[in-house]
Amino acid sequence: MRRRSCRRGFGNTAIGAVTVVALCTGAWLLTGGGETNAPPQPSAAEGRPDPVAGHTAARALPPSPPDRIHIPAIHVDAPLMGLKLTSTGSLDVPPAARKNLAGWYEAGTTPGETGTAIVAGHVDNADGPAVFYDLGALKKGNTIELDRLDGSVALFTVDAVEVYEASRFPDQKVYGAARRPELRVITCGGGYSRSTGYQGNVVVFAHLSGSR
Amino acid sequence: MRRTARLLTGTALAFAAAGLATAPAYGGERGSLEVFPSNAVPGGDVTVNTAACGDDGTAAGDASAVGAGTFTLAPSTHEGDAIGQFKVPPSAQPGTYEIVAKCADGKEVTGDLMVTLASMRQQVQPRGSVKTGVGGALGPDPVQTAAGVAALAVAAAGGTWLLHRRARGDGI
Repeated sequence: MRRRSCRRGFGNTAIGAVTVVALCTGAWLLTGGGETNAPPQPSAAEGRPDPVAGHTAARALPPSPPDRIHIPAIHVDAPLMGLKLTSTGSLDVPPAARKNLAGWYEAGTTPGETGTAIVAGHVDNADGPAVFYDLGALKKGNTIELDRLDGSVALFTVDAVEVYEASRFPDQKVYGAARRPELRVITCGGGYSRSTGYQGNVVVFAHLSGSR
Repeated sequence: MRRTARLLTGTALAFAAAGLATAPAYGGERGSLEVFPSNAVPGGDVTVNTAACGDDGTAAGDASAVGAGTFTLAPSTHEGDAIGQFKVPPSAQPGTYEIVAKCADGKEVTGDLMVTLASMRQQVQPRGSVKTGVGGALGPDPVQTAAGVAALAVAAAGGTWLLHRRARGDGI
């Protein structure tokens, strides 16, 4: 009899403990669990050295529009569409509904050609993370691959990952002409405000390091 | 006379409207020849592609207008587009030239190539930031929410059981 009540007491304690733990875990998970789901942002260490690092780029490729972008380090594999400018002169963006679609500025330099080629894609859409959600997690030295219509693949090496406020966006640094084949990959980033959305952009700077 | 002109204008507008209506939302216009870069320099390479020749279609390209002769468009992995390349002769004069591609089935498509001198070539750069996010990733994670609800359900079941035992006088 005594043994039975002892066993019962142990069972009650265990169930009580499980109940308390479950209660705390449930409350923690439902109140956000400390995780904000904010896209990763680059650290200062990934910033661009000034003056620009003088890596010698690989020989420029002939112009050919790109077809797909791969960024193995952040598991990006997405088709590219042509982008134009909006009426205010800013770069247009792909339709937000298609989360795995990026775009390139088709009136500009094609990726691999001498100059600055520009690729942009969404960090998220109304449903959640999109193609460039992890762009801010890229590091110097990571590789970006662009499949081109002529069948070649342009390989770019990341020089820097920066985040800029929209109100102080350095047009010339990001979009300006380059003497070697370079690439910019752009998505939204910086702080987020419920009324005005993301406060700026994450910009990846890369140069052509090879092709195949 | 004026009436004829008006009639002609009307017809032209109707055709233009029909053309606009059938144009796709973006990219890869079927039935035209895309030219990259559309604004090239003498001595530069040019790539052309078209979806007009159907899947795995080849085409004969003709860039003789700019003095680059003929070239071949071969099928590519890009949605079955036929793709070809040629070089603008270093002696080419600035101007707009029509590039022609004739599909194996006889269909003909054209695209414009503008040749400008290197010093004149000016790209329009985009300006300002890019609107590439709405914050949709920042809401509660559905998996996390489900896990939280499940944990609370376990807690509720445990609590109920314990209260039940207590009410029965089993002692805790």
